Amino acid sequence: MNAWAFYLTTIIVYGAVDAMACMALNVEFGFAGISNFGFIIFQSAGAYTAAVLSMPRAATSNGGFQQYVLGWSLPWPLPWIGAALVGGLLALPFVFLVGKRLRGDFAAVGLLVSAVLLNVLVKDYVPFLNGDAGISIVPAPFQSFWDPQALGYQFAYGGVAVVLTIIVYFFFRRLTESPYGRSLRAMRDNDIVADSLGKNLRLQRTTTLVVGGMVAGLSGAILVGFISLWAPGAWGYAETIVLFAAIILGGAGNHKGAVLGAILVPLGFEEVTRFLPPVANPTLVPALEWVAIGLLIILFLWFRPEGILPERRRILSGAPAKGAAPVASAPVPAGQETDALIKLGNLDELNFRQLLRLGDTTNDHRVVLSTQGLTKTFHGVTVVSDVSIEVRQGRLTGLIGPNGAGKSTTLAMLAGTLPSSSGSIFYEGRDITAMPSNERATNGLVRTFQLASEFKKLTVLENLVSAIPDQSGDSFWGAMRGRRHWGREDKENIERAMEVLGGFGLTQYADAYAGGLSGGQRRLVEIMRAMLAEPKVLLLDEPMAGVHPNLAHKIGDQLTRLCEAGMTVLMVEHELSIMDAFCDPVIVLAEGKVLAQGTMAELRANSEVVEAYLVG
Amino acid sequence: MSSFGFGLITAAVLAIATVGFTMQFAVTNVLNLAYGSVMINSAFVSYYLNVHGMTAWASLVGGVVTGAVVSWALNRFIFTPFQRRSLAPITVVIVALGVDLVGTFGLQAIVGGNYVSFHQSPGREFHFLGMILSGLQLVILAICVVVLGLVHWVLKYTRLGKAMRATSANPNLARNSGVKVQRVISTTWLISGALCGLAGTVLTMNTGVFEATSAQLYIVLLLAAMFLGGPGEPYGAMFGALTIGLATEISAAYINPQYKEVFAFLALLGMLTFRPYGIFGSEKTN
Repeated sequence: MNAWAFYLTTIIVYGAVDAMACMALNVEFGFAGISNFGFIIFQSAGAYTAAVLSMPRAATSNGGFQQYVLGWSLPWPLPWIGAALVGGLLALPFVFLVGKRLRGDFAAVGLLVSAVLLNVLVKDYVPFLNGDAGISIVPAPFQSFWDPQALGYQFAYGGVAVVLTIIVYFFFRRLTESPYGRSLRAMRDNDIVADSLGKNLRLQRTTTLVVGGMVAGLSGAILVGFISLWAPGAWGYAETIVLFAAIILGGAGNHKGAVLGAILVPLGFEEVTRFLPPVANPTLVPALEWVAIGLLIILFLWFRPEGILPERRRILSGAPAKGAAPVASAPVPAGQETDALIKLGNLDELNFRQLLRLGDTTNDHRVVLSTQGLTKTFHGVTVVSDVSIEVRQGRLTGLIGPNGAGKSTTLAMLAGTLPSSSGSIFYEGRDITAMPSNERATNGLVRTFQLASEFKKLTVLENLVSAIPDQSGDSFWGAMRGRRHWGREDKENIERAMEVLGGFGLTQYADAYAGGLSGGQRRLVEIMRAMLAEPKVLLLDEPMAGVHPNLAHKIGDQLTRLCEAGMTVLMVEHELSIMDAFCDPVIVLAEGKVLAQGTMAELRANSEVVEAYLVG
Repeated sequence: MSSFGFGLITAAVLAIATVGFTMQFAVTNVLNLAYGSVMINSAFVSYYLNVHGMTAWASLVGGVVTGAVVSWALNRFIFTPFQRRSLAPITVVIVALGVDLVGTFGLQAIVGGNYVSFHQSPGREFHFLGMILSGLQLVILAICVVVLGLVHWVLKYTRLGKAMRATSANPNLARNSGVKVQRVISTTWLISGALCGLAGTVLTMNTGVFEATSAQLYIVLLLAAMFLGGPGEPYGAMFGALTIGLATEISAAYINPQYKEVFAFLALLGMLTFRPYGIFGSEKTN
């Protein structure tokens, strides 16, 4: 009987520790899209920290048979707090890896290698943390006046672990179900686009890693206080893969899924094998466990990539969940929308000035955006060469040219998506050549992309709302202050987005995943999203590509209205009829150089332009 | 100077392995983290052929064939289907980690956890230029040099090599220009898999004793060598392997053998942080 009770407490503590770790990794991987293949070192750092903070000086303990740093004999809860802090601080060196320029899988490999390296160093350098043998006889909290072997103590320990796990659950929920959580998921779905809408990727990733690292560190502290030893064998890099398996199984992007995964994989595997009959070959059972974990990862990613408890779709529109079935079934191929979809909503009635907070600017047609000698070279090939252009306020400027003329590259350099090789960019009188793209966006210079760039696993409404700048819940501390702090404002933002959606006739898709829409609808979502980012200058990269011609002309009308309301638009477009109808002036690029500019009528009269582009 | 000799062998074997690894990345954009498990499985096939009467050099062929077939099948039946379905490259990397676990520990479950070694004498020692190399090591070195020469010839002077380079630069453009991209990718995985099998077998011959998990951390050296020369660049891989191979053995001799991999780790982290497209590389378009 007693044996079973002790066994139960062990399971409770291990379960709580695994659940915490899985939730933390899930926030990093499932919500923010950071594949932290080195996650286990954060848990381990917490375990070691708690150990050496609670233990006496190494020289005096146990006849000095183990060597380690610190040894401050601190009372509970200081070692646990220290563990959380060290777990969080450990994230900071990795900010370089997860910064915005590096591919996600390269960063993941860097984290994996860091985990291997730290394990090797701790194992081989004995004076630091007693090397391969690890640290043992770690004191349990309060052990001087409460016997850790007593059943009451063990249940109390398990109780504290469970309570902390529940607190972590609600802490993470507060974080992820906020406007900030929305920004994290936007970054996960498409980081380059999130960046172009003004999200600070480096800050978002750093925050996530620090928060995840703190919880991981705390989980390590809880574990080491219970089992009283910690050694490099316990935190090989493959332990992280076990946690990934748990999250993939349980459901990435779902906190309950992470807890379920923790119970099924790390805990389940540990406990089930306990009851297997002994076999002759001692490596057989552990080896088969690893094979099973590998197979689980592969099979789940193939047959049920969303996990047992999939990520929840967030219904924001306030529409009754039943009744209106908003999910688009099969996506309609681009350009083949039915007439019903082409009919836009009440776009003409939208008050852009009010909706997009354009204020009372009167169009003065001053130069707001210009370049001087802008040049881009790839592998020694010059794609954009010495381009100097001017974009005037309140105008709808067109940018045309044959394939490979450097239109999209120019646009990308204006928005900061690509760094320029030489030359300068000026925006509202400032040299912004070195300004990061997200800062350009927050200053009102917003771009769209040529390829589909919706946040797939965000609903259409979430896509739009995520772009709205200066949300009070769109920061870590804003999110922590809770719904009372940002709820009302978020409701207003949702209403604004709904109004724009209505204008474009897509109200029925408000709560559908953006990834499930047709090509043309996704383009509209992207245009609406860029508008809600409240740009002063909007850079559009072929916004009409794949859009039905009738619809394209309606969008063109609205872009003209936007300009009348005080916005400035620079639009790359292939379709000459669009240019004819809406753009003035038009800049022609050919082979990376500015060939001509003027009204379309003037350009059609220019034989050079006609030869280079209009005829071909 | 003797550490230079060891470094040369390490570098030659690493070069074979890294060239295969980087070619897979070049044509399919997959960081095949299961590479080490294919190496060790190939080595064990060679080992069993060797134990059952074949000479070590004949059994080497078995390892090469195993590496080629297994790698081809991995790409054909696992990586390609996942790539077709998912857009995030990280999914395929996680799948590769899963495959690595299955490959490594599946092997361990079958062969057990004991160390084994080839039935092959290291041959007499040769002394020259202050280096001491066994006959076995000289043969390994010769094989590696010949194979790297062959890779160079294929890449530079054959239609296949040209098609590979085109596919690596831009698969869509290559397809539109008449390159049979699927066939090129399959062939690349066969060839790179053969290099993987060869590297695994000669690596274990050189180290002497090995077991199922012996190649588990080799992936770190591979990644370091690949990122040093630029991911997807076969010649960069040769340069990276030479640097990493020599640096690890020489630092082991002069600093502390326990930390011999640390240089590789630091090189890799430094490259990822400051120059993720290699010392000579530059960012690709798009």
